[in-house]
Parts: sequence; structure tokens; C-alpha cells
Amino acid sequence: MNTLPLLLYAAAGVAYAIHFARRDPSIGRTATTLLLFGALVHTFVIGMQTMEVRHVPFTNPSRAVSTFVWLLALSYLYLELTTDERSMGVFILPVVIGLQVIPAIYPGMEYADPVLDSAWFWVHVSSLLFAYASFALAGVLGVTYMLQFKEIKKKHLGYFYTRLPSLQILDVMNSRAVAVGWLFLTIGVIVGAVWTAQARAAAPDDPNLQAMSLNDPKIFMAMLTWVVYSFAVFARRTMGWTGRRAAWLSTVGFAFAMLNFLPIKYFVNTSHTFY
Amino acid sequence: MDFFLLGVSHRTAPIDLRERLDFSSRDVGAAVEAVSARPLMAESVVLSTCNRSEIYGASDDPTRAREELVAFLSDYHHLPAGAFLPHLFALENSAAVTHLFRVAAGLDSLVVGEPQILGQVKDAFQAAAERRCAGPILSKVFRWSFAVGKRVRTETALGEGAVSVSFAAVALARKIFGRLQGRHVLVVGAGEISSLTAQHLRSHGVGEIVITSRTLAHAEALAAEVGGRAVPWDGMIAALGASDIVITATGSQRPIITRAQLETVKGRRRSDTLFIIDIAVPRDVDPAVGDIEQVFLYNIDDLQSIVQENLSRRAGEIERAESIVSEEVTKFASWQRSRGAVPTVIALRQRFDAIRRAELLRLEGKLGALPPEARARVDEVTRLIVEKLLVEPTEQLKALPDEETQAAYTEAINRLFRLREEEDESSTREPRGQ
Repeated sequence: MNTLPLLLYAAAGVAYAIHFARRDPSIGRTATTLLLFGALVHTFVIGMQTMEVRHVPFTNPSRAVSTFVWLLALSYLYLELTTDERSMGVFILPVVIGLQVIPAIYPGMEYADPVLDSAWFWVHVSSLLFAYASFALAGVLGVTYMLQFKEIKKKHLGYFYTRLPSLQILDVMNSRAVAVGWLFLTIGVIVGAVWTAQARAAAPDDPNLQAMSLNDPKIFMAMLTWVVYSFAVFARRTMGWTGRRAAWLSTVGFAFAMLNFLPIKYFVNTSHTFY
Repeated sequence: MDFFLLGVSHRTAPIDLRERLDFSSRDVGAAVEAVSARPLMAESVVLSTCNRSEIYGASDDPTRAREELVAFLSDYHHLPAGAFLPHLFALENSAAVTHLFRVAAGLDSLVVGEPQILGQVKDAFQAAAERRCAGPILSKVFRWSFAVGKRVRTETALGEGAVSVSFAAVALARKIFGRLQGRHVLVVGAGEISSLTAQHLRSHGVGEIVITSRTLAHAEALAAEVGGRAVPWDGMIAALGASDIVITATGSQRPIITRAQLETVKGRRRSDTLFIIDIAVPRDVDPAVGDIEQVFLYNIDDLQSIVQENLSRRAGEIERAESIVSEEVTKFASWQRSRGAVPTVIALRQRFDAIRRAELLRLEGKLGALPPEARARVDEVTRLIVEKLLVEPTEQLKALPDEETQAAYTEAINRLFRLREEEDESSTREPRGQ
């Protein structure tokens, strides 16, 4: 079911790359249309899965990745349609396509642990997925900022200089994406903690719930990610860490977030393993 | 009806002559009306910029229309014809179309690829169209030229990249700051390039422009010119702290802005982005300033090498732009030929239909006995046969490769179907009928 969106994303990715290289506006519009179609089909897939299991699919890792990709595609489309700036597509689509390969290959079965049957849990997961999608955008904006910054600073005005938006726009978009992501990360973490406390009382025998603490690798990484982004938000406001420093921070933060999202989910057994 | 043009440009005439033949300083609308009022000028457009004064026209007798125009130029500009005749160039039909397409594409400009010309061509056409001076021929060829100009701009990099130091500086500023609205500019030392750069920045809507110079009077003069505020020389460092863009152009032998100085003011500025354009030789700004985070320092050599790169990139695009122009000229010519075939096609159609009607009329006696539906069916079938017979010849006629072939085919069809004679006969017959 996740293959069709993947194919559409891949086609959009190719179109964005050609658009970036040739700067042909008609190919750019094709790219946006393909991505829009991909996101629509993806919405349908997620809608079907939601009807099937009666909640948004994300207890299974593959399905969580699919939901994350969907949110990322929608956030990017929002960014593109509000700024009329298409050149970021070529940087975002590789993330979208690369991650969408996972649910396309391993569809996964949604497994609902009765412990997870709580509104708090769904707020927790959807906030975090949305936060990660914002961080992915911010990370890509950060990378492009640094590419552009380097060319202007070193006075080699080349490939990226002629294609990317101005440093100021990249910085403002990065700042917004980090702020939105940080807000949802904070909500997600607080809701998670509140829910754990409630669930512990309700299910004193559940080993996962009892093991949830900062010693758990996933929780630890999440806190580390939160610290990095809190610093990014704080440093921008009070220490004047804008521009290249902010770009760098958002790239590092995204690396942490992705590390937590993928390898830890798949290879490390943590208290968050509910399947 | 032929399309032609007559005019002077930077390629054929020196600046003083172009100035004397200029229409743009006076009312172009009045000029195009005056041209249209001349005999033999069926349609006209006047294109006048600082690099060219050209009159485009359509006429049944272009040779005599051109002579009329020479007389017009002489009258209108109070200039003896001998003064400008050697510099005048005249083109007709496809050569004139090629010229207009090249002009609209920016290929004929002094600075190849400059962006203003397409707008000027559009304005010239607009002025003529509003006064009903541009008819079907000029409307078609001018509208086509707008499309050519747009195509060259989107498909090639002919107009890309600044080709003067001041434009290169503004382009960089826009790449760093995005919109320049509300940005503060400091100009240190008044000079030609700093004045030009400040003016370009002003046209992009920057906020305050502060100007300082060792001689306050110079700063005040430049401030008046670009709409800025002059401050005394010792206010320079304070002004530096409030600026986003700094232009330095003093004759100082030693750097006037050092890293230490900037770091003191930047303590207040935190890490705001600062773009410094140092166009002075010797340099006004210590090169170490460029190592500070979020400070972009460009000197005159950096800017000039950008300009050189842009110029050579534009030169590389000329060939592509020229091939787009010639492709469009070919397309236009084939469109024109397809239009040229229309009278023959119509005559042929009328001839066939006349035969059909005549035959139906001849058979009226036999057909009259048929019921009305069958009668209508016969009419329909004969009409369809004529249509089908004409489809292929019509398309072939419209797609002929050149004008000579088209003339030969037209002649052959006229003879084979006696089209011309029929016209002649009918025209001679008519008076008799009356």
C-alpha cells in the first residue's frame, strides 16, 4: 500500500532535481503536482489504515515511519506553497523517498497493546512525529544555508548561489521550523511523562512502563534532542546565534532526532518496544 | 503587404546623432500618430530607447514608404536627411522580423541580455496599439517578439548575473538579506561607484542611507543625490554599529575599518549579518574583518571578477539565444505562409462548391421527386465529398516550405482550376450584368 506514494515521491524527486539543475519553471510545477499527488495517495493509505485499526497507525515502526513521511511531505508542501520557493524540494525529497522505502518494503502489522489505548498516548506520538517532521525541514534548511553561506563567504559564487533563496529567507524559515518543532517536542515529552505516570498506576505489572526512565536509550536520546533544540531556540533569542550557527545547530539536532527515530527503533530494545 | 523597418541604433550611429533622432524624450504616442498619418503607412510602431530609434511599419509599397519616412524624420527632428542617411539601416520582411526578435531578446542591446528592452518593446507596441496605429501585421509580429523575448529569458541565462560592479554588489546584498526593505546602509567616502551602488540600493527600497566623508560637504552632496543623511567623519564608527550594508570608497592610504574596531561595535550588534563592499584602492577595510562570523567582505577585485564571470557566462549563452531566435523566425515565416495560402484555399473551396451547386441545380428535375429527407441527404453527401477532397490539398498548401514553392503551387492551382480567370471574368461580367 505504501508503494504507490513511494513511486510518486520518487517521480517528484526526479522532477525537483531536474528543476534545480535546469531552473525550468514548468518542470518545477510538474514536481509540485507529483508531490501533491503523492501526498494525496499517502493520505488515502493512512486513512485506510486508520479505519482498519481505528487509530492513526504508528505503534508499528514501519507505519510510524510512513506517518512521519506523510507529515514531512505535507509540511514541505505548506512551506513551498507559502513561500513560492521550490529549490528546497531537491533536498527534502531524498529524505522523503529514503524513509518511505521502509514501509514500502516492510508493511508491518499494527499491533495495539491495551496499555497504549489512551488519548494521552496518541497526543504523545503525533506531537513527536510532527516535531520530527519540522526538524527534518529545519535540518535541510540548515544544510542549504551552510552551502550558500560558504559560497558567499569564500567568494565562489557558484552552483548553489544561483539556485537557492537568500540567506535571510533560509534563516527565517529555519527559525520557524525549529520553533514549531521545539514546541511539539516539548508537548510530546510532557504528555509522554504524564501518560507514563498514569499508566504505571493503572498497570503496575507492565515491564515496559516500569522501565521508562532517563536510563532508557530512547528516552535519553529524546531528552538530548530536546536539550539541543532548547539551546537552539534560547541561543537565537539571547546570544544572537542566528545564521550559520543556527543552521549548524539545527543540522546536528536533526541528526540526533533521526538517530532516535530510526536505528534505536529498529536495533535497540528499549522500553518503547511495544511489538 | 510588407513588413519593414527603418532606424538607427548604437551599431550604426554615434550617440549625438541618436540623441537628435530620439523620440522618447518627447511624446512617443504623438510620434507614432505622425508616422501613421504619412501616406503609404498602413501600420506603424515607433521604438525609441537611448540605444535606438526605429520605426516599424507595414505597407503595400515599402520602398516608397521608406522614402516618406526619411522625409518624416527630417521634418520631425529638423535635421537635413543627409545628416542621418548614411547611418540609417532598413530591413524588410524576414530580415526585419529577425531584427525585431533579436531586439526583444536583448541580443541587439549594448549590454547583451539587459532586461529593460523587452518592456520598452512592449511599451512601444502598446503606445501604437492604443492609437490604432498597429494593425494585424504589426500586432502579430510584435506579440510574437514578446514571446521570443520571454523564451530567451527563461530558456537561457543570457540576462543572468550582474554585469557592473554596482549591480553585482546589490545582487549580493539581495542574496544575503533577501528583501532590502528597512536595511540600513552606510557609505564611507563619496565617489562614483559608491553613489551608483547607493542609488541601486535606494531603488530596492533600503531604509536609511547614512553618508560620511572626511569632507562633510562631499557627504552632504552625495546625501542630497541619493536621499540620505550626512554625518561627520567622527560619527563613522557609531554609524557602523547600526548598519547592515557598508560601502567604503575613501582615498585613505591605510585601512579605516579594522577588525578590532568592528568587534567593539559588533559587541552591541551581537551577530547580526554585515555586508561590507570595499571599492577603495588601496583597501579601506582590513581583510581580517572578513574572518568575523556573519561578516561578508567584498573588495573591488572580488566584485570585478564576479562581473567578468557573468559577462563570459552571458557570452556563452548568446549562441543558444540566437538559435531560439532563428527557430522562432522560421516558425513565424511558416505561419505567414500558411496565412498566404488562405486566399487560394478560399478560392478553391468556392470553385468546388460552385460546381457542386451547379450540378445539384442541373439535376433539380430528377431530384425534385425525392422526399425532403432524401433531398437533404443528397445535399449533405455532395457537400461532404467536396470537403473530403479539399482536406489534403489545404493542409499541403499551408505547410509549404518556402515562398517560391508557395508561389509556384498557387500559380499551378490557379491554372488547373481556372481560379484567376474566374475572378477576372466575374469582375468583368458584373458591370455588364448591371
